[in-house]
Amino acid sequence: MSRLPKITIDHARVVYPGARGAGPVEALGGVSCNVADGELVCIVGPSGCGKTTLLRVLADLEQLTDGRVVITDSDPARPVKAMVFQGAGIFPWMTVEQNVAYGLRLRGMPPAERIEIARRWIGEMGLDRFANAYPAQLSGGMQQRVGLARAFAYNPQVLLMDEPFGALDAQTRLILQQTLLRQWDREAKTVVFVTHSIEEALTLGDRVLVMSARPGRLIHEFRAPFARPRDAIALRSDPRFSAMFAEIWSVLRDEVERARAAELGATA
Amino acid sequence: MIRNRWLSFLSPFLLLTLWELAVQVGWLNRIFYPPPSEVFITFGAMIADGQLPRDVGLSVMRVFVGMVIGGVPAIVIGLLMGISPVVRALVQPLAAAIYPIPKIALLPLVIVVLGLGEASKIATIALSVFFMIVLNVAASVLQVDARYFEVAQSFGARRIDLFRTVALPASMPGIITSVKLGMGFALTLIVGVEFVGSNDGVGHLIWRAYELYAIDSMIAGLVAVALVGWAITVLLDEIERLLVPWQFVRAANDDARQFIQTWWGALRPHSYTAAIIPVALGAIIAGAEGHFHPLLLTLALLGAIAIQAGANLTNDYFDYTRGIDTPQSFIGRNVLLRGELQPRQVLIAGLVAFAVGAIIGLYLVSVGGAFILWLGVIGVLVGFFYTAGPFALAYTGLGETAVFLFMGPLTVIGSYYLQTQSITAPVIFASLPVGFLIAASLHANNLRDLESDRAKGKRTLATLLGRAGANIEYYALVGGAYLSLLLLALIGVAPWPTLIAAITLPTALGLMRRVARDYEPQALHPVLRQTTQLHMQFGFLMLAGWAGAWMLGMS
Repeated sequence: MSRLPKITIDHARVVYPGARGAGPVEALGGVSCNVADGELVCIVGPSGCGKTTLLRVLADLEQLTDGRVVITDSDPARPVKAMVFQGAGIFPWMTVEQNVAYGLRLRGMPPAERIEIARRWIGEMGLDRFANAYPAQLSGGMQQRVGLARAFAYNPQVLLMDEPFGALDAQTRLILQQTLLRQWDREAKTVVFVTHSIEEALTLGDRVLVMSARPGRLIHEFRAPFARPRDAIALRSDPRFSAMFAEIWSVLRDEVERARAAELGATA
Repeated sequence: MIRNRWLSFLSPFLLLTLWELAVQVGWLNRIFYPPPSEVFITFGAMIADGQLPRDVGLSVMRVFVGMVIGGVPAIVIGLLMGISPVVRALVQPLAAAIYPIPKIALLPLVIVVLGLGEASKIATIALSVFFMIVLNVAASVLQVDARYFEVAQSFGARRIDLFRTVALPASMPGIITSVKLGMGFALTLIVGVEFVGSNDGVGHLIWRAYELYAIDSMIAGLVAVALVGWAITVLLDEIERLLVPWQFVRAANDDARQFIQTWWGALRPHSYTAAIIPVALGAIIAGAEGHFHPLLLTLALLGAIAIQAGANLTNDYFDYTRGIDTPQSFIGRNVLLRGELQPRQVLIAGLVAFAVGAIIGLYLVSVGGAFILWLGVIGVLVGFFYTAGPFALAYTGLGETAVFLFMGPLTVIGSYYLQTQSITAPVIFASLPVGFLIAASLHANNLRDLESDRAKGKRTLATLLGRAGANIEYYALVGGAYLSLLLLALIGVAPWPTLIAAITLPTALGLMRRVARDYEPQALHPVLRQTTQLHMQFGFLMLAGWAGAWMLGMS
C-alpha cells in the first residue's frame, strides 16, 4: 500500500512492575506493525498474550515502557479513536439514548443534534423501542449493540474493539458480526479488532495477526482473501475459509500450548 | 420471599391485637401497659391540643437543619476524598478516628461551647451525621468500577467530565444510602439530646411523660417518633427513585408493586362488603335502641373481614386443586391460575386469616359469651367447608342457603347480640333483605357457570333446578329483598328512611330482565358483578337510612 499508515506501532513494549516478591511481567514484547487507513485488522492469540494490552496502549489507557505508537490524525473534524469494550461497558445510570450520545456530548455537540444522531444509530441497531430504557432492562446482546452504537455515533477515525462479542451466544454473535460488516462496508473505518476466535477474525478482517504467548509478539500474518462486501454466513461454506482456519490454527496451537505450559509452570 | 413479607405485615397487627386483648382481659396491668386503643385516644388528644405537633415539628426542624449543615459538606468532602488521593490522605485518618466516638458523648462539650440553646442541639446532629456520611460517600466513590472511568477516558473525558458523568452518578446510590443512614442516626440522636438539655421537642415530651408517669403519653411520643421516622424513610425512598431511576427499573416491577397487586388479587378486598354490611347493620340496629360500643363494632368488623378473607383464600385453593377453576372459567384475576402464587401460599394465608379471625373472636367471646363462640365456629366452618371436604357446601346445592344464613341473619344477629346481649324478632326480620341479596349474588355466579358446573359435576341449586327454575330463583331472591324491606317498613320494624335502598330498584329490574333474556356465560358475567354491586349499594343505603333514623331519634 502506498498510503501513509493510519497506525504505526514500532517496537511497542509494556512491562508491568511485578507483584510483591515476583519479578516484572513483560506483557508486550516489542510489537511492530502498521495498519493502513480504512483497513480492518484482527488480532488473535492465546489468552494472556497481551492483545488487550496492545489495544489499551492504542487507546491511551496504558503507558508504553519502550517503543512508540502513532495514530495519524487525518481529519480534525472527527475524533481520532474510540474503544468498544469487552462486555459493552455501557453506563448503567444512563438510558440507551444517553449512552449512545455520550461521546458526542463530551465533544460539546448541542443536545438536539446529538440526540438525532444517537436516535439514528439506535434505529440502525434495531433498538428503537429501548431508546429510553436503562441497560439493566436489556439483554447482553442488546447491551453490546448499545456499545457498538455509541462507538459508531461518535464516528472516530479509528475503532478499537476488544473482544466485543466474546461473551455472547453464537447466534447473537453472528448477527452482530453481520451488523459490523455492513457498517464497515458503508463507511470504511480503520478497525483494530481483538478476538480469541479464529472464525471471527477470518470473517471480519482484511488481515489476521497472530500473537505469541507472553511476552506477546507478532509471529504471523495472514491476509484474508475474501471479497467485500462479505456475508458472515456465506463465508463459512467457502473452501478457502476452512483451509485458512486450519492454517491459522496450526500456528496458534503451538502458542496456546506454550501459554498453558507456562501457566502450569508458574503454579507448580 | 413473598410469604415473608406477608408475615411482616401480620406480625405488628398480631402484636397489637394480643396486647389489646391481654389488657382488656386483665392479664396486663393497664397502668403500666395502656392498651393500643387508649394510646390511640391519648395520641388524638395530644394532636388536638397542639402539643404533639409542636414538639414533633421542633424535633424535625432540628434534624433537618442539622442534616443540611452536616450532610452537605460531608457529601462534597466525601466525593473529593473518593477522587483525590491527596484529600483522602488529609481527611481519612481524622474522620476514621472521630467516627467511632458516640456522638451523644460530645453533647456536654458542645453545650459548654455553644450553650443550651438551639445551636448546641443542631451542632450535635450536624457533627454526628458529618462523619458518618463523609466516610460512606468516600467509600462509595472508591467502589465505582474502574472500567467506567476508562470508558469515559476513551471518549476523551477530562477530569471534570469524569467527575460529572461517572463518579457522581455511579456513587449516587451509595450517597443516598449514607444520607438514609445519617437520617436514622440523627433521629435517634435528637431524642437523646432533647432528654437532657431541652424544654421542648419530642424527646422532652417523652421524658416529661416519664416524670409524670403518664405512660400513655410516653407511648404516644414513641409512636410519633416512629411515624416521623417512617415518613422520612418513605420521603427518602421517593427521592431515591427520582435521583437513581436506573436502580428501580427492575426492582419496582418485580418486587413491592407485584407483591401488593398479587395479594390484593388473592385477598379480594372488594368482596369484604359482604361481611361489613351485615355486621354494621346489626350494630346500627342496636345503636338505634341505645346500645352502642364502637370498639366491639370495630373488632367485629375486623373479625368478619378476616373470616371472609380466609374463606376467599381457602376457596380459591380448593377450587383450584379440585380443577373447578380452570383458565376457561370466568373468575377475573385469579392469582393461582396466573401462577402468581403457589397453592400452598394461598392455603397458608387463608388459615392465617382464619386464625386472626379466631383471635379477635376469642376476645368477642369473652364479652359476648357462648352464643358468639358458636356463631364464630359456625362461620369459620361454613367458610372453610364451603369448598373443602367431601361434602363441600358449594358442590352439594347448599351454597345459597349457607351464604344466605351466614352472611344474612346469623351475622346481623351476632353483631346485634354483641352490643345488646339479647336477640329480638325484629332483628331477625331486618336481616332478611341483605341475606336475600348476598344469596342472589352467589346464585348469579352459579347461573353464569350453570353449564360448566354441570359438566364438571359441581352440584349447585342452579344445576339442580335447571335453567328455568334457576331464573325463577334469581327473581325470587332479588325481588325478596325489596319486598321484605317494604314489609319491614310497613310493620314498623325498619324505620322508613331505610326505604331509600329502593332507589336501586331500576338496577334490580334491569338485572332480572337480563337473566330472563341471556343464558351465555359471557352475557351473564356482568350480571354477577352488578348483583354484587347491588348488594353493596342496597346494603349501604339501608344502613345509611337506619343510621339516619337513629341520629334523628326516630326509632
